[in-house]
Amino acid sequence: MKNSIKIISLFFFIIVFSSCKKWVEYNPHDDYQITDLDYLKSESDYRTMEVSVYSPLQWLNQDVVVSDIASDNAVAGGENASDVLNLQNIDDYRVTSDNGTLSDLWTSAYEGINRANYLTQYKDKNPSGETISFAGKDALYGEVYFLRAYYYFDLVKLFGDVPLFTDKRLGITDSRTLKRSPVADVYKQIELDLTNAIAVLPPTPSQPGRITKYAAQALLGKVYLYENKFDDAATMLENVVNGPFSLVPDFASIFLSSGENGPESVFEIQYSNLSPYYNWGGATRGQGNYAVQQCGIRGIQGTSSFAAGWSTNLPTQDLANAYSAGDQRKAATVLDIDKYITDNPSLFTGFSPSTDPGFANNPAYQVAPFKNTGLYDMKYQPRKGQTSGQVELNYLNNYRTIRFAGVLLMAAEANNRKSSPDDVKAKKYLNMVRERAFGDNAHDISATGTALTQAIWDERRLELAMEGDRFFDLVRTGQAATKISGFVKGKNEVFPIPQDEITISGLTQNPGY
Amino acid sequence: MKKNFKRIFLPLCILLFSTTSWAQSKTVTGKILNDRGEAVMDASVIAKGTKIGTTSDHNGEFSLSVPATVNKLVITAINYNDAEVATSGSPLNVVLKTLAKDLTEVVVVGYGTQQVIKVSGAISTVKAAEIKKLNPVRLEEALQGNASGVTVIDGGSPGSKPTVLIRGIPSFSGTDPIVVIDGIPQTLDDLNAINPADIQSINVLKDAATTAIYGVKGGNGVIVVTTYTGRKNQKTEINVSGNYGIQQVAKKIGVLNASEYGAIVNEGSVAAGGKVIFPDLSVLGAGTNWQDEIFDKAPIQNYNVSARGGSDKMTYFVSGGYLDQDGIVGGGSKSNFKRTNATANLNFDLSSKLKLILNTSYANLKSQGVQENSFNSIIGSALNFDPTVPVYNSDTSVVGKYGYSNLLLSEIFNPLTKLDNTYNVSNGDKLYGKIELQYKIIKDLTLTTRFGYTDWNQTGKSFTPLVFYGPLNVENTMNADGSTISGKHNSVSENKNTDASFTSETFANYNFKINRDHNFETVVGISFAKSRGDAINASRQDVPFNSWTFADLTAATGTNTTTNPSAYSAGNSQYFRKNASYFGRVNYDYKSKYLASFIARRDGSYAFGPANKFADFYSGSLGWVASNEDFFKSDFINYLKVRGSYGTVGNENVSPQYVSISTGGPSYGGTANSNGYTFGNTFVPGSTVASYKNDGLAWEKQKQFNVGFDATFFKNKFSLSADYFDKRVSGLLFTPSVSLYLGTAAIPTANIGSTKSSGVDMTFGYNDKITRELSINSSLTFTTSTNLVTATNSDGTAIINGGSYFNGQSQNATRFQKGFTPGYFYGYKTDGLFQTQADVNNYTAISPVTKLPVVLQPNAQPGDIRYANTNGDTLLNAADQTKIGDPFPKFTMGWNVGLNFKGFDLSVFTYASIGNDVYRAYERNANYSNKFDGVLNRWTGAGSTNDARDPRYTFADVNSNIRVSDRYIEDGSFVKIKNIVLGYSLPQSLIKQSKAFNNVRVYAQVKNAYTFTKYSGFDPEVPGGILNTGVDRGEYPQARTYSVGIDLKF
Repeated sequence: MKNSIKIISLFFFIIVFSSCKKWVEYNPHDDYQITDLDYLKSESDYRTMEVSVYSPLQWLNQDVVVSDIASDNAVAGGENASDVLNLQNIDDYRVTSDNGTLSDLWTSAYEGINRANYLTQYKDKNPSGETISFAGKDALYGEVYFLRAYYYFDLVKLFGDVPLFTDKRLGITDSRTLKRSPVADVYKQIELDLTNAIAVLPPTPSQPGRITKYAAQALLGKVYLYENKFDDAATMLENVVNGPFSLVPDFASIFLSSGENGPESVFEIQYSNLSPYYNWGGATRGQGNYAVQQCGIRGIQGTSSFAAGWSTNLPTQDLANAYSAGDQRKAATVLDIDKYITDNPSLFTGFSPSTDPGFANNPAYQVAPFKNTGLYDMKYQPRKGQTSGQVELNYLNNYRTIRFAGVLLMAAEANNRKSSPDDVKAKKYLNMVRERAFGDNAHDISATGTALTQAIWDERRLELAMEGDRFFDLVRTGQAATKISGFVKGKNEVFPIPQDEITISGLTQNPGY
Repeated sequence: MKKNFKRIFLPLCILLFSTTSWAQSKTVTGKILNDRGEAVMDASVIAKGTKIGTTSDHNGEFSLSVPATVNKLVITAINYNDAEVATSGSPLNVVLKTLAKDLTEVVVVGYGTQQVIKVSGAISTVKAAEIKKLNPVRLEEALQGNASGVTVIDGGSPGSKPTVLIRGIPSFSGTDPIVVIDGIPQTLDDLNAINPADIQSINVLKDAATTAIYGVKGGNGVIVVTTYTGRKNQKTEINVSGNYGIQQVAKKIGVLNASEYGAIVNEGSVAAGGKVIFPDLSVLGAGTNWQDEIFDKAPIQNYNVSARGGSDKMTYFVSGGYLDQDGIVGGGSKSNFKRTNATANLNFDLSSKLKLILNTSYANLKSQGVQENSFNSIIGSALNFDPTVPVYNSDTSVVGKYGYSNLLLSEIFNPLTKLDNTYNVSNGDKLYGKIELQYKIIKDLTLTTRFGYTDWNQTGKSFTPLVFYGPLNVENTMNADGSTISGKHNSVSENKNTDASFTSETFANYNFKINRDHNFETVVGISFAKSRGDAINASRQDVPFNSWTFADLTAATGTNTTTNPSAYSAGNSQYFRKNASYFGRVNYDYKSKYLASFIARRDGSYAFGPANKFADFYSGSLGWVASNEDFFKSDFINYLKVRGSYGTVGNENVSPQYVSISTGGPSYGGTANSNGYTFGNTFVPGSTVASYKNDGLAWEKQKQFNVGFDATFFKNKFSLSADYFDKRVSGLLFTPSVSLYLGTAAIPTANIGSTKSSGVDMTFGYNDKITRELSINSSLTFTTSTNLVTATNSDGTAIINGGSYFNGQSQNATRFQKGFTPGYFYGYKTDGLFQTQADVNNYTAISPVTKLPVVLQPNAQPGDIRYANTNGDTLLNAADQTKIGDPFPKFTMGWNVGLNFKGFDLSVFTYASIGNDVYRAYERNANYSNKFDGVLNRWTGAGSTNDARDPRYTFADVNSNIRVSDRYIEDGSFVKIKNIVLGYSLPQSLIKQSKAFNNVRVYAQVKNAYTFTKYSGFDPEVPGGILNTGVDRGEYPQARTYSVGIDLKF
């Protein structure tokens, strides 16, 4: 009896002790989780993962707002001076390294780079060491290279020297190990990626919004312009000028939802209201365009197509004044709301154009309480029915990243500034843009040389206002200090590196910050 | 002869003697009192040398018939020294002397019990009597101020979970102590399901000597709850109690009335270069104070019935309870908590060696809630909404019962409209308990195996109707005529949650003696535990008739289309956790004089990395009962024990980490690492790396040192226990700070930080009988802890920001950071107001480059706040933010006084929390939101005020006076009279006549009677874990409750 108890006990303990170890073992599959080793095992895995390399493009919508507000085109507006503080500080040239908008842009662009790198890292062999081959794999990687170039271009424009890595997605142990690479090295990588992309990308997109060979050529042309490589730019952009694009006659129609991915569209970052998003902790990270809400008119009433917004990105009177009479782009770019209400009384029946809030009358809208200019961004004005769910975060408006008109103006500038200038071609491209704007050739430019250069630059402002190029154009062309009040030469050409990257990663700060 | 003698004489003798005893018996009566003059019931009275005996009744009285030859009675009672008294002089007055220290009293420790006298660790105990006095909704209420070393910060929302900290804040990743109910581990969240009336005692295990037996889960302390069981060979005792009360808000916040509001809005607009908003202030009058509209008187009622008793082979305790608490915000139809409890604790002696224990409890929890804790919650709206709006809508051209604002067009709505459109309900069933077998293998060796389980099934539903907020409101989903705005939908959401856990434990207890005086109590065992959960939720749009009546997935008609893909959607989540452990403990004492204890536990957790699956924990303690020494002769000190302990415990509040790939679209995780892209009008899901791995992940290691003493003195009238502790955590689980260029994949938790906490817990007791009829008992607890984060990572850059709120900007008010107290308030220090432009121009720092002064706040205007340039550089920016307050108290005290006079009992409990700051985060500060009466003292010109809390008022706040600063910090120290109870027990003489009852007591009670505090908000007690405690976003205040009740014992 006693012996049997002993034997049973011993047996029992052996079972218990060996099962203890097993009991606390863990496999992510127990939680239905897919790990890196489960993935990139099929064409579909590669294609699905590649889609998410596009996602951070959408997160960069504040690039457009920052560029408007940092330039002479727009002010930050808002409820008061402490509303949208990050943008106010950029507007007022008080920007510091703790600016949340800038660090979000930095992080977003690097997430894009890491996603692109993960795919290039496992291009030949997946994490399990297998090679997955499929038709169209090269073209797929063309998109990846383009996207990596886009993200680095974004970083280099905003911040100057930035950490450069292309070999892999960084892991935890890579934290705090990188240094900033010189702008020239970053540009070299951008050129390489875009050249590789051009070699494999198709001329027409398989789906609207997919990157084409022309998009890559246009972006490379733009990059060359930023590098002052005008000869290369002229050659590269010529491919796009001779491509399948055309200028649409009605300028305003480009920015309607019906004008998305139209004949003038070389590359557009796609947004939609079909995946309602509500995460205020990552307001820019959904499928909707958050920047649209910022352009809206506060408390707009009536039956017009406009939906209410925040008035935190208001065009300046200076921009409105820059347009000549007869230029159809003015009304399509700058919305004078009081004039609009007066001109369209039927849309505001029962509401007074007078802007007193209060009980005495029913105001048609609430005047922007701070830095009011009376003007609103017509290109990205929020419209009724174009958002969903959490309405502020889900506007469907695509960001017209590269338009054919922009390509023409870049080509014009490249031809005008290349080592052996071709002003005839430059004027031709410039005047194509002007003729569409005015509907005639009476406003053609006939200047040459540096006068033509200035005319092209001025035209860029009129054509591309509120589209995210103005600040970078002013810096690139050396006009920033004269055009922007508060701009300090030698400092404000770039924004400060986010403070966390200084304190955590030990990166150096840009001069003056 | 011898034979004959036996045969004849013996029976004769027996006959003779017995006849004598019948003839000479006598009746002895008497009353037994203790040394405090209180009646001692259930004392055993035995005629010395016989088996004849009885027990004393409720009044301590007894009556016993004894043979005349008996001249002494032996009287014994638990907790008292034995007494022998002569039978002469009946009726007798017997006075029993209380034992120096209750020798028989035991505390429940992990996997066993221990005599209090032999405990060398630090334990706080709260007994049923204390709990009963409070009538708490959740039992944590009873710990507050009654258990030293425990800090409880209560909330006001019905049934809500308080913040509970045992001995400071050692960890970041969770500070909830574990709760062990009758041996079965549960969580603090589970305490909303237990009926406080079922609890016999709560022991709070505080130091490593007591918590190490729980190993990797013991790091935050252990709350051991013991419920009632039956008693052998006792007739059934039935207790019935009922309590009914009315709750009301104790205080309102000073906001502007309509005229004041109009004037300040005008001033703000004009100061910003705008127009006068209210040209005629005289028409505004007082307007509406929305607080008057949302707060209601709300009933609370609580009924309990229980029966306990037992036979020789079986004992039982069965009980039922019902609690119904309505909320004071919005009233019972919108905010309430209902709990129904049933418990059966059964013990069976299956044989002389085998015992079966079945504890089974069921609870049903039903609740409804209102939006809380934000500027646009119900309370937040009541504080911030436009006071010029009338309560009811008189505009017949629009639908809507309540008034609307033409100034506040989004975010903040009429709180009554909001309340009216709040629909939700949660209904949950919980079954928990244990099946336990105890087998006595040999004398003193018992093998116990138990299976504990908890099963929680909850369903919830909420309805978001279409609402019309006002003609100009931009967030309307309904038109002024009641029709639906195109593209808007109402929606109903339903969820089902299932959480289940079980613990399987087997352990052997062996108690033995060596050479009579060396006592050993040992235990070894193993434990397996698993918990798992599933949550499924779905929502659907287009509920018929926009009505709660039809708010159900089955009735809603929404179907997904390409333009509205979320008309009908579902989601789910699941989790599990597993642990395996071995443990052992040896308790030793020599003549109850020298005490020692040693604990070892080896814990394995599924969560830890492959390199660290198992962790070992050890602790040891020593004690010396000095008063048991022969040389210890003191008339003043009756009892003295000195004790000390040291050991390690852990914390495993972490999940496994691995490289995961997530697929889909937008992310709602902390880093918003979204996927997918829209091509044209087609959304295409994407995939990406979502997390990193950390194979080295391990437990948090906590080392705790404790030293203390227990003493009673002056005829046992006074008692004092005091402990000093020092806790150090290494390998603190914390999210490291990593380079931003890593992107947005989730950063894994790592063992990178360390913290230290130290403090003193003290309990002082006083019991005395002042006159024959008047006795007093009083206890005072004192709890203090100082906490410091000593590291987060090597360079201290890993910081967690918390306490988020919105006042026009998204703000963070708290931080967990190296070199500071956990969860401290972080912001700008104010330095008065700029009185003149010259003040602004003169507020400079010298540039180290140009050697010229640089104006620090160039945008400020006279009347704006001057912020301290704490780092001395030439920029006044985020780097100047610093510690501006601490949400956790420096010390807390609880003071209980009980008086008994004849049938009356009076009990008053006062709780004090000193040194805790509150951050006022309920002010929205929009141009047209209402303001608080502090604005009436605002700066209006040079010299008017220099108080940084009262800057000028303007719509254009160019100086950002609303930034996080000590402007919003208030001293939240308070003294609360938490409980006053006055009871009356009917005299036994009256009760005995009725024959129905054993005891009848009626009482009246006031909870949260009064709060002494300087804090201007509703209630300075603002719970919220580490990072949200003390951040008052319009916290649901604790109600003042007036109630009456009755306790009956059959």
